[in-house]
Amino acid sequence: MTDNTLELQQEEKQFSLAKDAFDRLIANKLAVIGMLLVVFLFFIAIFGPYITPYDFLSQDLQARNQAPSWAHWFGTDDLGRDIMSRVIYGARTAVIVAFSTTFLSLIIGIFMGSLGGYFGGKVDAFIVWLIDITMSVPSLLLVIVINVSMKPRLVNWMDEQFLLTGNSFYRNTILVDFVLVFGSLALIKWPKAARIIRGQIMSVRNKNYVLAAEAIGVPTPKIVWKYVIPNSIGPIIVYISAALGEAMVFESSFSFLGVGVRPPIPSWGNMISDGLRVWQLYPHILAAPAAVLALVTIAFSFLGDGLNDALNPRQWK
Amino acid sequence: MTKLLEVNNLHTRFKVRNGYLYAVNGVSFTLDKGEMLGVVGESGCGKSVSMMSLIRLLPPAAQITQGEVLLEGKDLAKASASEINMVRGSKVGMIFQDPMTSLNPFMKIGAQLCEGIIYHKKMSRADAMKQAAKYLDLVGISNSEHRLHEYPHQLSGGMRQRVMIAMALLGEPELVIADEPTTALDVTIQAQIVELVKELREKLNMSIIWITHDLSLLAGMVDRIMVMYGGSVVEEAPLDEIYKSPRHPYTIGLLKSIPSIKTEAGSRLPSIAGAPPNLFVEPQSCPFAARCAYRKERCTKEIPPLEPVSGAGANPHHRIACWVDVTKEPAEPKEGGML
Ligand SMILES: Nc1ncnc2c1ncn2[C@@H]1O[C@H](COP(=O)(O)OP(=O)(O)OP(=O)(O)O)[C@@H](O)[C@H]1O
Ligand SMILES: [Mg+2]
Repeated sequence: MTDNTLELQQEEKQFSLAKDAFDRLIANKLAVIGMLLVVFLFFIAIFGPYITPYDFLSQDLQARNQAPSWAHWFGTDDLGRDIMSRVIYGARTAVIVAFSTTFLSLIIGIFMGSLGGYFGGKVDAFIVWLIDITMSVPSLLLVIVINVSMKPRLVNWMDEQFLLTGNSFYRNTILVDFVLVFGSLALIKWPKAARIIRGQIMSVRNKNYVLAAEAIGVPTPKIVWKYVIPNSIGPIIVYISAALGEAMVFESSFSFLGVGVRPPIPSWGNMISDGLRVWQLYPHILAAPAAVLALVTIAFSFLGDGLNDALNPRQWK
Repeated sequence: MTKLLEVNNLHTRFKVRNGYLYAVNGVSFTLDKGEMLGVVGESGCGKSVSMMSLIRLLPPAAQITQGEVLLEGKDLAKASASEINMVRGSKVGMIFQDPMTSLNPFMKIGAQLCEGIIYHKKMSRADAMKQAAKYLDLVGISNSEHRLHEYPHQLSGGMRQRVMIAMALLGEPELVIADEPTTALDVTIQAQIVELVKELREKLNMSIIWITHDLSLLAGMVDRIMVMYGGSVVEEAPLDEIYKSPRHPYTIGLLKSIPSIKTEAGSRLPSIAGAPPNLFVEPQSCPFAARCAYRKERCTKEIPPLEPVSGAGANPHHRIACWVDVTKEPAEPKEGGML
């Protein structure tokens, strides 16, 4: 009898869903690799600029286009800037853009998605219509249009404001770049978030297990916490992971095309674009940012797949 | 026998886009302690909604507009939300139709079973788990200690349905409402579940309401049968009485459409012509009138009350809601409906 109770109590500790899911994640080698890389990326993005050997802007015209060496691990570019420092700073750009756009798109997505999911009917039909319309617009085209049409106006407006107020805040055109990138990316990405959240709310709310829990008198807060949230959070977490990776690739593509973050602020995209011009002579200038971007993309996809499996009990063995 | 439940003139409707859907229109019945009642009727006639209304387990669009539900004298229709919550699981247990989706895939069986009694009975988790293991044994799940720590997907459909039964019984309720608990299962498992419920009923002396649209399933299982049509009770009688001398035209049609060994191979089963009633308007007459072969002038004007049948040797517990005495009137083809 006592043995029995003991065993029950021990087992109790394993009740937590998060722990179970984490165990599954850890058991998946690719997911662990992805997770470590992603954690490392975040670490670099946060602390990198404090530990870079050189300033990302400081030019050394004596040391242009140098191949990798002990002094410059990834070599230097055509202005003699340290590529490693720039890649590290580029990580910060990528992470800032990724987080802000994912956050923004989630906010819009949660708002739109839960509105549709809760109210149904005409509200829902309107939101679904909006989602479809937005999704049918080619994203690259949208960003270019926004950039071309809005940027000059925004810059003009900021110049005016500077003249009017004398506030140096309005001189910061880097901010315009970032705002436009965040804004347009969030605009492209919210429908996916909205669609997922809408679907989750609609399906979980009417699930039989929610009814069954109500039928045995489980209090509502417990139902929300133990039944509704775990069942809806999986796809949202997976979405966040995928969206972060995707946003980084988008940011790089836009910067590559010159409609995103612009030099001298380093972005992997504009570094790749710079490197591409001289890749036959100095392949290392292209190699470093391209390899890092590829690695990060793969890391996020490994992590996303791992999370998807770990958070879906039907796939557990 | 002592009375456990008394339902009087229960009305439930749903708010829909342009008005209301009248799902339950004046259901009344009683249930004794230890009694088993079968509820039959075609799909959409309000079986689930009326029984869910008893413990107010309804979606937000639903509204109980009238009536009382007296469980041991206490009116559940007027009880507060927290009072209802205490009744659910501890006094009234519910078994659902679909075992595949009635368990939370993210919680282990044990945790789900225990959630209710930990809250109701203020049990420790370890005690609750022991209780859960006991009930898993009772419903015939072997290796129950081990099963408690498995997730729903690791169980077969039949096992999940047994878990659902254990979940309904765990709080030791006086009344169990089983809403078509076997339709999702194959025939052999169905028979096992039916046997199991009969056995448990003997053992635990519960009252049971068994909802089904399969009249033949109820034979040899329930004490009494209640036939529903269009949101109301049309006939109610002890089991044998229903099979021997059905008195409502709808019940007669229902019984004719059950295949029996005598039915000739290849012959068509009789069916009830016509469509189910329109529930978007509140009924003003007999809901079955449009499909009825015995229809009279009065049937399309007034709602018949549920009253004991008349006639010599009539069983006093046999009640019907019909203006016509089918034992005296011949059925004749009627426009829009026949038998
Ligand atoms: N959430 C809801 N919103 C609107 N109408 C509903 C809702 N749930 C049920 N109804 C309606 O209430 C009526 C009765 O439904 P109910 O589920 O009680 O039927 P049932 O007799 O249990 O049928 P079945 O044998 O198919 O389970 C139906 O007309 C149905 O369309
Ligand atoms: Mg039903």
